[in-house]
Amino acid sequence: MNSHMAPPKQSKSAGSATDPLWYKDAIIYELHVRAFSDSNNDGIGDFPGLIQKLDYLQDLGVTCLWLLPFFPSPLRDDGYDIADYMTVHPNYGTLADFKAFLDAAHQRGLQVMIELVINHSSDQHPWFQRARHAAPGSPERDFYVWSDSDQKYKDARIIFTDTEKSNWTWDPVAQAYFWHRFFSHQPDLNYDNPQVLEEVLTVLRYWLDMGVDALRLDAIPYIVERDGTNCENLPETHVVIKKIRAAMDDSYSNRVILAEANQWPTDVRPYFGDGDECHMAFHFPLMPRIYMALRQEDRLPITEIMAQTPEIPENCQWGLFLRNHDELTLEMVTDDERDYMYLAYSADPRMRINIGIRRRLAPLVDNNRRRIELLNSILFSFPGTPILYYGDEIGMGDNIYLGDRNGVRTPMQWTADRNAGFSRANPAQLYSPVVMDPVWGYQAINVEAQQSDPSSLLNWMRNMIALRKLFQVFGRGALKFLPSANRKVLAYVRQNGNEQVLCLANLSRFAQPVQLDLSEFDGMVPVEMLGYVEFPSIAKQPYPLTVGPYGFLWLEIQPAPPTWDEPVPENRTTVLETAREGEWEALFTGANGDVLKSSILPEFLQRQRWFGSKSRQIVSATVTDWCPLDEESVLTIVNVELNGANPENYFVPLTMLYGDAAQQVKEANANAIVAPIRSVKSEGLLCDALIRENVSQALLSLISQKGTLSSKGGIIRGVPSSLLPELTHDEKSDMPARRSSAEQSNTSILFGDRLIMKCFRKQEFGPNPDTEIARFLTEHTNFTNIAPFGGSIEYSTNGQSPTTLAMLQGLVTNEGDGWQWTLEELGRYFESCAHTVLGEEDQKKPAGIIVGNHTCIYLEAASTLGRRTAEMHLALAPSDRAKDDFRPEVLHPDELRQLSEELADHATRTMEALKANLSRLQDNAVEMGGLVMSKRRDIVGRFRRLTDVKTRLVRSRVHGDYHLGQVLRSKADFVILDFEGEPARTLAERRQKQLPLKDVAGMLRSFQYAAFSGLAKHTTRRPEDHQQMEPWARLWVEAVSQEFLRAYRESAVGSSIVPSSDTDFQLVLDVYVLDKALYELGYELNNRPDWVHIPLAGILSLLS
Amino acid sequence: MPKSDTAEETKVEIQEAAPVDLLIGISSAVNPGELQQHVKGLESGFQHAEVSGTVIAYPGSGIEEAAVRDMQAGSTRLMPYSMAASDPTSLPWVVSAAAQRAICALALELKAKSCVVIHGDVGMLSSERLRLFTQALQEKQCDLVVPVYPSKKFDGLLNHSILAPLTRALYGQRVRYPLAQDFGCSSRMTQQLGENHSVREHSDSTLLWPVTQAAVSNYQTCQVNVDVQHAVQTEGLELSAVLASLVGSVFAEMERYAPFWQRVRNSQPVALSGNIAQQVSDGETVDAKPLIDSFLLGSRNLQEVWALVLPPVTLLELKKLARCAPESFRMPDELWSRIVYDFALAYRLRTINRGHLMGALTPLYLGWVASYVQEVAARSPMAAEQRFEQLAKAYEESKPYLVSRWRWPDRFNP
Repeated sequence: MNSHMAPPKQSKSAGSATDPLWYKDAIIYELHVRAFSDSNNDGIGDFPGLIQKLDYLQDLGVTCLWLLPFFPSPLRDDGYDIADYMTVHPNYGTLADFKAFLDAAHQRGLQVMIELVINHSSDQHPWFQRARHAAPGSPERDFYVWSDSDQKYKDARIIFTDTEKSNWTWDPVAQAYFWHRFFSHQPDLNYDNPQVLEEVLTVLRYWLDMGVDALRLDAIPYIVERDGTNCENLPETHVVIKKIRAAMDDSYSNRVILAEANQWPTDVRPYFGDGDECHMAFHFPLMPRIYMALRQEDRLPITEIMAQTPEIPENCQWGLFLRNHDELTLEMVTDDERDYMYLAYSADPRMRINIGIRRRLAPLVDNNRRRIELLNSILFSFPGTPILYYGDEIGMGDNIYLGDRNGVRTPMQWTADRNAGFSRANPAQLYSPVVMDPVWGYQAINVEAQQSDPSSLLNWMRNMIALRKLFQVFGRGALKFLPSANRKVLAYVRQNGNEQVLCLANLSRFAQPVQLDLSEFDGMVPVEMLGYVEFPSIAKQPYPLTVGPYGFLWLEIQPAPPTWDEPVPENRTTVLETAREGEWEALFTGANGDVLKSSILPEFLQRQRWFGSKSRQIVSATVTDWCPLDEESVLTIVNVELNGANPENYFVPLTMLYGDAAQQVKEANANAIVAPIRSVKSEGLLCDALIRENVSQALLSLISQKGTLSSKGGIIRGVPSSLLPELTHDEKSDMPARRSSAEQSNTSILFGDRLIMKCFRKQEFGPNPDTEIARFLTEHTNFTNIAPFGGSIEYSTNGQSPTTLAMLQGLVTNEGDGWQWTLEELGRYFESCAHTVLGEEDQKKPAGIIVGNHTCIYLEAASTLGRRTAEMHLALAPSDRAKDDFRPEVLHPDELRQLSEELADHATRTMEALKANLSRLQDNAVEMGGLVMSKRRDIVGRFRRLTDVKTRLVRSRVHGDYHLGQVLRSKADFVILDFEGEPARTLAERRQKQLPLKDVAGMLRSFQYAAFSGLAKHTTRRPEDHQQMEPWARLWVEAVSQEFLRAYRESAVGSSIVPSSDTDFQLVLDVYVLDKALYELGYELNNRPDWVHIPLAGILSLLS
Repeated sequence: MPKSDTAEETKVEIQEAAPVDLLIGISSAVNPGELQQHVKGLESGFQHAEVSGTVIAYPGSGIEEAAVRDMQAGSTRLMPYSMAASDPTSLPWVVSAAAQRAICALALELKAKSCVVIHGDVGMLSSERLRLFTQALQEKQCDLVVPVYPSKKFDGLLNHSILAPLTRALYGQRVRYPLAQDFGCSSRMTQQLGENHSVREHSDSTLLWPVTQAAVSNYQTCQVNVDVQHAVQTEGLELSAVLASLVGSVFAEMERYAPFWQRVRNSQPVALSGNIAQQVSDGETVDAKPLIDSFLLGSRNLQEVWALVLPPVTLLELKKLARCAPESFRMPDELWSRIVYDFALAYRLRTINRGHLMGALTPLYLGWVASYVQEVAARSPMAAEQRFEQLAKAYEESKPYLVSRWRWPDRFNP
């Protein structure tokens, strides 16, 4: 079709918000129409009543209203059992009433979010009634999931354990079982039937056309089922979500979908996709840990879960909450944590339901105003969008004598009048009794009273919301925890561009001192944000602060104030000016160059995820070399001077964008903007060039065409590998480029489904081990279990070794990285073992036999991985004809002694750290810690025994940072990735030759970590299984390690890379495993004390 | 892009004329004869190149429009623009603001490179005066050019005591007349004024604050000394209505731009060009006694309202002031700036009806005027100028007080 024949693209329907990222700055208020205000005095809240209360909500300062389901429903699950998706339950009004509410909310600048419950419907929905009467196999029947047996999908857990015994229920009409993950009156929709998604999209469009701004996708992990899985978080689920998002983006702008996935943060991360699935997702595990930290007066529960929280795409956001309409869920905590929470927060068993606690915020903290304020201060200052539950702004209580979770769903308390001002109906007619006890009753706690009390919680909340809204950094900034010796104080910095806020929360009942290393803000002034009080200037020395009982401090870190009449520095979006568009020379020199160096580039770098020295203050950032790539873009090397550290170099491609292209970046990728630019003719933006597809294509061409670019001070060369034509199939035009969202210290660009280009941002002169090894293995060996090397872009300048700017590799089709895949397999293994008790007889059998009964796939995989590891080591240690960089070397006795001393020193330092922290270890670790301490001499002695090795040891190039996360599971095999080594080490250290058994030890430790992580995950769902399952975890580690080692040794037999004698092999391996376990111990002591038991158990196992 | 409410005939003219180099917009009804005279003068004073790309826009309405069309001649193009009919009771600057918005909208449609908005008395319509604006826009690359009018010691006191120092403290721009009746804009500034006012809800009484807009957009503002004085607009109007309209509008802008001005620390000078020598002169003397009497009357009758707005320490100061002898009646700058800040906060919080609130500010303002009059009566005009500078500094020094009260508006304060 000719281009001019193409139909005009339909313009997108805009929501009520003008900023596409409005949800990042939002304050969401969750309410049930039924519980809010009753206008017709029938005892049930309704839309006209809600409209009357919109002024109150606007005055409170919230910006988005989240309505719980208001659709026609039998109301057997508080409206989540929907019988008609397209209208309003008559109890709450009419569709016209909803539209009037929507308009009234929009007029007040409030966005509206409603529920899209797409996992299941009510059994009263016409779809289900039609399905049960339809013939098996017909499209009508297939709207739901049917089976002749209730044995299908048996690995899926039951969620409502208090009420349901199976996920299948027999339907006498259909003469078949239907599938339901929740109540038996909520059959799950069948997304294998394309008509179901079509119907769901019709519902979505219906409400979005009306003007609804956001949709909450209920129970999203469960929408697809597959046999042999736990039917949660399946790849097919993501396919459905991507389609929903695409349908939304195609026709609507500024709308949002929010995922309800009560999972671990790493499991929720896929729901953001590459920014092409959900805009938001709840952070479920954070909430119980905030309460735990408060009760334990220890910040660790919070810092630990945040450490496990992965980065999310830039256009995505976490949804944070303290309480909601459900129980305070304890699914995402360990057994001990759950027991603790029950003891701490639900003294009366009636307060418990399912796996959680059904209480409101104020009763949970014993109605202590300071505790309520502290928790809200954390909610408002953590990275994400805060969600308030109706009534919590006035400290409403609950009624634990009501059934289900109805105790936290009582009518809103407006006044001290009859029915709390909620309704003028006969009190007996109310859908739920109002809270009436002397402490929490509506006579004591109501909006009217708090509005007239200047010191009320309501007024405090209103002020805090207004304050948060003044600072975009809270919704959009990065988070960094600040270490301090006093664990009762949680200290963190939120940073977004020039905005930086230091937050402190004292989790203790008593005043607490804290000293913080704020040297990166040397010379700046903290200004307390509530009262605008200036604190003493920050210096290089630790900054002392005192925080009152349950107190919190928000301090804006500002530049020191200029003296009177001194011109204020121009720090607000400085514009770079050139005479004409594309005048790069003028941009990097003169006044533009000065401002780039002193403020624009430092500010830009601090915002970038790949910038490695965020904790340091940038003194200056200078473009030291550059060359044009195309008409609009250049490649630059930026030298960064840091305060108190060596300078660093970064690879920063830049581009100038104008007109629509600039506008698009502004709206969708603001973080890529370096600065506004202006020429005589036009205005535009200086941006990170890697957001442009044609820049990516130009870099690819540079490699494939063996191109050369002359920069001001050097040469940039594209160097293809011999394999590149094969990788591209000579069809470059078919490979659209897109930037991967999973970037960390590098930036990756995907070309179709064939190639990936890794742009190394931080540059060190000298060969990059990742490129060097990948090239070597691809071009000089037959080892093919790596991502094939396609080429690189090398930069050389006077007197320096060349450095690699980018590396091109073939994209490997895979089933996930080794860590993730192992955890999934472990999930199945534990499910399989769950009902089998490990008897004494079993323990006498070889581990492989017993484990093989439950997971033969993984044993085979371990064997394959062992073989591939050996093959990699053999390939990395070629015969003498290899060039020096790869030629294996014999370790001389002196070098062996030196190695032994280094390892022993490391062990001594770690033992000292253990000693210092012993008293703080948790119960499950303290005994093991003591035992390890008692074996201190033995441990150090083991490293010295390295010199006893009799056989010749050979060192060669190795992977250097080898664990399950560095391999991909691909077609029943493994592909080994990332030869970069440990990024924190210097280039020279990473290129050093080492004993290959170091890699082997790394993988063995990774098996143990995977087993215990998998166990922790399994027992969060089935806490009662922990005692029984732990021996299974140990057995798995033993069997898998044996299989891995067996295959490794078999493949390496006859080679010099491993000691030929069994004794020496075991001795060297044990030394490295012990060293790795000690490294892990040190890491966990500093970062995740809850995990200390894993390396401790590993160390004890080695010593025994 | 916002569209001006233009007639079909004018739309055709716009299409023909766009893009233009300079749009001169007259912001109120114009006398055709006077306009013709000025246009002729303008054409003779401008270089040919300057005139050929210039359009003069005037408010088109019935007879006047026909008269102007009839006289159209020369190379300068005259073009009417339409304004929504305004309430006859509207205050003059409210009508001007509507016209200024319409001119900006027309400038956008004409794709004007520069736009100069001038007062309806067309005093500014001379080549020398206009060139002050266009030169600053084109040569100094300013985005906004506002005039500094010649003044007398007791002129423009509402501007000098509230509008200018408050704008300076809030937005960091040391601009003498933030609510100028004449101003010049670059194309992007015009767009900012046009677009910003097209998307946001505003009542007819919303004023246009170009200096504020320029500051929040990080655009460069310049000032030029001009030798034109417009007739006093407040004559015959009730002071409380004037305060409610002008000061109320500044307070409303404060609410809108709170995230911006709370980050601005200290002010910076704004470049000024033009002849300075003639700017300040002596004026008629003013009797302070009726002003003090108004303050005392307010002090007796408005205590309850003031107590809702002002903290105890301010009330105590005012009480002391009410007791002192008329000749020693002086309101300290810090006290006055804090009073203004507290009223701004009460306006935001709707502590009382906003009309009543501004009414309660009136006697306090008269008290400040009395204090100023007595203080500078015997001083030179230049000394009076320095007095305003001193007041502006007091506003800036008290700004942390405003920020703290704004962020945490607890009534339990000193």
